[in-house]
Amino acid sequence: MPALNIRQLLLNVLVVALVVAMLLPLFYMITMSFRTATEIAEAPLGLPDRLAWENYAQAFGGMNYVRAVINSVGITISVTVLTALLGSMAAFPLARNTSGFARIFILLVALGLATPNFVTITPIYVIFRDLGLLDTYLGIILAFTALNLPLAVFFYVGFIGAIPKDLVEAAKLDNCSDWQAFWYVVRPLLGPATATLSLFVMLMVWNDFTYPLLLLTDKDKFTVTISVYRFVGNQNIQPDMLFPAAVLGSLPLLILFAIFQRRIVAGVTAGAVK
Amino acid sequence: MTSYRSMILFTLPAMIVLGMFFVYPIFLTFQMSLTNFTGVGEAENIGLKNYDRIISRSRYPDALWVTVKFTVVVVLIQTLLGLAFAAMLHRLPAVRNFARAALFTPAMMSFVVVGYVWQFIYSPFSGGLNAMLRGAGLDWMAKGWLGDPDTALYAIAFAHIWMFTGYTTAIFLAGYANISSDIDEAGRLDGASSWQRFRHLEVPLLAPSFTINIMLSTIGTLKTFELPFIMTRGGPDGATRTLSLEIIEQLFGQYRFGFASALSIIMLVIVIAVAVFQNWYLRRREDV
Repeated sequence: MPALNIRQLLLNVLVVALVVAMLLPLFYMITMSFRTATEIAEAPLGLPDRLAWENYAQAFGGMNYVRAVINSVGITISVTVLTALLGSMAAFPLARNTSGFARIFILLVALGLATPNFVTITPIYVIFRDLGLLDTYLGIILAFTALNLPLAVFFYVGFIGAIPKDLVEAAKLDNCSDWQAFWYVVRPLLGPATATLSLFVMLMVWNDFTYPLLLLTDKDKFTVTISVYRFVGNQNIQPDMLFPAAVLGSLPLLILFAIFQRRIVAGVTAGAVK
Repeated sequence: MTSYRSMILFTLPAMIVLGMFFVYPIFLTFQMSLTNFTGVGEAENIGLKNYDRIISRSRYPDALWVTVKFTVVVVLIQTLLGLAFAAMLHRLPAVRNFARAALFTPAMMSFVVVGYVWQFIYSPFSGGLNAMLRGAGLDWMAKGWLGDPDTALYAIAFAHIWMFTGYTTAIFLAGYANISSDIDEAGRLDGASSWQRFRHLEVPLLAPSFTINIMLSTIGTLKTFELPFIMTRGGPDGATRTLSLEIIEQLFGQYRFGFASALSIIMLVIVIAVAVFQNWYLRRREDV
């Protein structure tokens, strides 16, 4: 059916054209990052006359980029590990328990899933100030962990509930303690769940703006997002600062995405669907 | 199967973290919302005055209205656009994986980056959008998109939709993967056109994906703060001042901790009410 094939081909071309149109802002961001402010003012849409690397040199230093990346990586990894550990530990007894305690805990988790962080941000700020946790790595790690724990518990409860309970029973018969049953029998089976969850948590923490904006003021502790924000500022925005900072700010995740895109998309959708 | 004692021990670390940074803060929010606390010194109990003020000044219902408009526009367009992309990509295996990944890319970026880049795209003189319009001979359409109260909110909504359409598409495509190919095949054999199959077979069978997409994007947009904060600071003339932005503004702009808490409580009630209603309505719809 050649007629149908031509239709199919045209549809393919149309969809690719639409997708490319959706990517234009990215192309724009990258192109503009290599142009000087004068060039952009004179011709807002042109290609760079030459690659203005000095834009990047300026942004790289001004953002304290290396330090910011290290901070973001450190905070993100700490939160991810802590969330996965505390979440799976809590989910282990909760997954098969129907006592009042378990029910209240699950209810709390459901409430936590629906509560926007703006509801708790005021008291968290006050608590942090009183405990001296403002402007500390520990503070921001705990804040992010608390924000992501409900998701983790919810996620692991579903996953652990699907593990055959004979497995744990058998371990108990072999005189394993509850902790040994968790650590040596259940935890090794949680790999796929942990991978999906970690993806969620990492994306959320890496890109979050609100917590670092409110809880960090020390330049040396800035994450990548907040250093982009502070570097560009909010008055009289200069394109030769904005665009290179935007590119540098997105670069780490875009590189990861380029390498693992299929797994990331599959993981994030599987996680959302669960 | 696990003893009560080990249940407590296993949940203890999570309980401590959640207790200190989630449960206790929620109680504190309630308590502070009844005071005129300014962050330092003694808080005076003023009963329901904060709530009274929220209802009686038009500024706060206006912020709620802005939030609702933003949410409805984003959820509606993003869901339809994601569905359209997924329906097309379902029929086009050759470009599906490329398109899915490409559309997803903006969701990898932070609100800060997306906000700044779009702010510049919309800017009146050297912005990309106006330059494109002028290039196409549509000079009369060029304007300061974020400076006009009539367009600012929609301009921000568009950036938000741009960011997350790929996410919606991917979820719908996952839903498509769950539809048995037999069903599609049966429709085809019965002579149903592509559109008929879409309308009468795929859309009903995608009900669970609708539930997830609508709930995720609603919860995400009801608390929108970052894009309006970065792109317009709530201006012009409050046209983009969402509820979350108002909370942060009261908190860190005016140090009205008590009042910000009252706004937070209102937000909590709205978000939970909407989530419960959507969950009930959309799940019921799945069973039909």
